[in-house]
Amino acid sequence: MRTYLLKRLLQIIPTVLGITFVVFVMMRSIPGDPVVALLGDAYTEENAIKARHDYGLDKPILVQYVIWLGKLVQGDWGTSILSGRPVLKDVMVRLPVTLELIFLSMAVALAIAIPAAIIGALRQNTWADYTATSVAMVGVSIPEFFLGVLLLLAFSIGLGGMLPSSGWVYLPGTCQTVVCAASLWGNTQHVLMPALALGVGRAALLTRLLRASMLEVIRTEYVTTARAKGLSERPVILKHALKNALIPTVTVMGLQVGFLIGGAIVVETLFAMPGLGTFGIDAIIARDYQQVQGFALITAFAFVVINLIVDLTYTFLDPRIRYT
Amino acid sequence: MTDDREPRARHPRTISGGSLQEADLPAAPDVAWRAGDRSEAPLAQGLRRLRKSTTALIGAVIVGVLLVVALFADVLAPQSPIASDQTHTFERPSRDYPLGTDQLGRDMLSRVIHGSRISLAVGVSSVLLALFVGVPFGMIAGYYGGRIDSVIMRAMDLILAFPIYLLAIILMVIFAPTAGLIGTIKVTGAIAIVRIPIYARLVRGSVLSIKEKEYIEACRALGVRDPWILMRHVLPNCLAPIIVTTTLGIATSIIVEATLSFLGLGTQPPTPSWGWDLKANVAFIQSNPWISLFPGIAIFVTVLGFNLFGDGLRDALDPRLK
Repeated sequence: MRTYLLKRLLQIIPTVLGITFVVFVMMRSIPGDPVVALLGDAYTEENAIKARHDYGLDKPILVQYVIWLGKLVQGDWGTSILSGRPVLKDVMVRLPVTLELIFLSMAVALAIAIPAAIIGALRQNTWADYTATSVAMVGVSIPEFFLGVLLLLAFSIGLGGMLPSSGWVYLPGTCQTVVCAASLWGNTQHVLMPALALGVGRAALLTRLLRASMLEVIRTEYVTTARAKGLSERPVILKHALKNALIPTVTVMGLQVGFLIGGAIVVETLFAMPGLGTFGIDAIIARDYQQVQGFALITAFAFVVINLIVDLTYTFLDPRIRYT
Repeated sequence: MTDDREPRARHPRTISGGSLQEADLPAAPDVAWRAGDRSEAPLAQGLRRLRKSTTALIGAVIVGVLLVVALFADVLAPQSPIASDQTHTFERPSRDYPLGTDQLGRDMLSRVIHGSRISLAVGVSSVLLALFVGVPFGMIAGYYGGRIDSVIMRAMDLILAFPIYLLAIILMVIFAPTAGLIGTIKVTGAIAIVRIPIYARLVRGSVLSIKEKEYIEACRALGVRDPWILMRHVLPNCLAPIIVTTTLGIATSIIVEATLSFLGLGTQPPTPSWGWDLKANVAFIQSNPWISLFPGIAIFVTVLGFNLFGDGLRDALDPRLK
């Protein structure tokens, strides 16, 4: 197990290097560069050449990448060309917002999916099952941003503006700068709609999957055995059936990370949240190379680490799975 | 679906039709199966099951209606989707403007009708494009194995290692989004690129198991050339999962297109696009809540249609996946 873990941790390095390198090359292959936007009215050919030299943009791409890597190893993520702030500092300020959003939306997804799938599987082909599967079908077909708009209409515009339509209040203890609002209640108000908008689609997807694997599992012999032993229905379903049915669900949850990152970009844009999603999309559109690299680095890292966590979860769900 | 063929494949008489002629051997009537002798093909069985599925029927009707709307958008739309009328901005839904007008006084109904073209065109063609590239790659990788397999699949893994939206967004920034047909082609390309590995992986997986079957070995023993084996004997047997993934993939592609448009990276205005319209109208949601609703509902119904149809198709073609 320890060797396996070490091997997997080492594999993170080439993947993260690969992703950041491809992003590096892709961003620099876009015609034009951030210097034009940076200089604005002061743009002259002379100034541009000077600015490019200052930021090291006149060097070959490979050299620029190696310089970026070299600084990275020393803990320097570079400086945003447009805002002039250190990228790492901005990432740290924005990370808690996105992490909270993603964790809560996954919690929403599981809180809806597990009971819905169990009911659907245990009462297969009854009205309860049909309701669960139909609602799940609607859920997978609705894009996050449209659900977000519907929530905005219901809770920010209807119901007397119960929930704020934009902005952010930090969870106490997560704010990295001196000037930010932090309160538990304010945070709950701000995170509720985005987490629902992002979570419901995942909930629908997981419900469909989990229902299908539950249906398969409850027909297996060990579930019959558990019942024959005289166990009551509750432990049979929760301990014997659910745990095994969760394996494919966990795989899909891991695969969904890519979509969650995209969903976070969309939801953060819609609700004007100061998270990593808006940080990334703003940087990509403005071609703020250093900031894009920071975003690519943190997403690539999250992507690989979450996939590792998924693989480790299997050993908990099914002790027969052992990694050596 | 390969299960139906397996028992026959073990029988010495089961070398299937076309391969014999291809190998230039004298056709022996007692060796080859005549078409009439075959039991119903798995695909035909699937189609029969499909006709009985209510889910697939509802999906097919939605998709059919959408196709008609997209094809005849010019006839169906009461007004031009791009002509603005400054005297009628933010009209509420009325007889003249069934879905109201937007901030430029454009008729929302006409915009929603014309928007179907972009969604369907991008959704369908990006998946087809991804198929045309991904399926051959997957077949070659799976069939030949070895170094070819490693090279192709590592390239696919590199694309898959990206969070899909990150790659699609960067590709769109590189392509520089524009309006009209060129803009649509760019979006199609970006979405196709991120989806190629999905098909390559899927097909490779199927090919890996199919190539070990005895009927493929029989073809090889008869000297049938590889391209013919791949086209006539391998491809038909991995069709079911491809068809299902394609239909469901269209639904995903439509969502990705709408998301890119929503982020301002899809087909640019004045070309009507649902994602863009939704985004543009969210700014006015406080005073005019209805206008952002309609493009959203349009996206939702379209995706639902393809999902329902794809679900029905999956149940029909591959009952094991149910």
